[in-house]
Amino acid sequence: MAMTCKEVWREISNYIDDSVSPELREELELHLAYCSHCTAIVDAVHNIIVLVADGRTFSLPAGFSDRLKARIKKEL
Amino acid sequence: MGAGDGPRSDADFQSRSSSLPGIARTDKATTEDAELIRRIRAGERELYYELVAPHERKIYIMAFSIVRNEAEAEDCVQDAVLKALRHLDQFRGESKFGSWLVRITINEAKMRLRKLRPQLFESLDDTDNDEGDEYVPQTLGDWREIPSETLERTEVREILVRAVESLGEIYREVFVLRDVEGQDVATTAQILGISEVAMKTRLLRARLQLRDIVAPLLKNGAILSRQPFKRGRNPWL
Repeated sequence: MAMTCKEVWREISNYIDDSVSPELREELELHLAYCSHCTAIVDAVHNIIVLVADGRTFSLPAGFSDRLKARIKKEL
Repeated sequence: MGAGDGPRSDADFQSRSSSLPGIARTDKATTEDAELIRRIRAGERELYYELVAPHERKIYIMAFSIVRNEAEAEDCVQDAVLKALRHLDQFRGESKFGSWLVRITINEAKMRLRKLRPQLFESLDDTDNDEGDEYVPQTLGDWREIPSETLERTEVREILVRAVESLGEIYREVFVLRDVEGQDVATTAQILGISEVAMKTRLLRARLQLRDIVAPLLKNGAILSRQPFKRGRNPWL
């Protein structure tokens, strides 16, 4: 029996992380082939993961490393 | 500081097996960390920054995601790093040094948050425990790939950072470790002291919530709305 949207949502993370069985992957992709709502969710989640993993999104404040080094040096 | 105040030994984060790719590189880094630790313990304490440097970005992000203030996060990282130095003899190499340092930083950040905003911390404790309800993603239509060049725009980075900040604590810490810092499943679960199943459940919720927050704001590489995130549950925004 084909997967429902609710069942697909439960597996979206595992699907993106490539940690589903080949059988489950096939079922998921069968559903995604015709369900634009679930496809939009998968695409958006995947895109957000790519963007937040980029070093530019969360970056260190200017001078952070120098100040940390100085604090360690003071402690030693 | 009494013995009971120090960070837990890394024996609390015993490694679990992992079949994820990239493990060879991790092993190399772990070996290098072990050698640096040996030399620091033997008296070459000036090498300590070299040991910490590869982990400074991830511990800063973790601290920032908890205290949500750059200056406070930086102070927190400095204190955590010094705490780890003072307790380096308790690190027995049974987990990765980076994981141990992240754990110390999380504890330090939470302690600071409790002191800074005790009421907020209590309210987060109460409202975060909603894992039982299944999350239903909103219907938001198509999403085309947003090129990474978009990140050159400050407002796009701010939308992403503030969206992550707006997640409930248990979801935010899982998301930051796994998706921002790129920790593997086993390490993320170890650091947080939760099962891999619980970690995955929280990660799914975090990712779906983020998508619902971010997707209406970023679509097709353009910012569709400049409206700030809603106040209420997250009054720091």
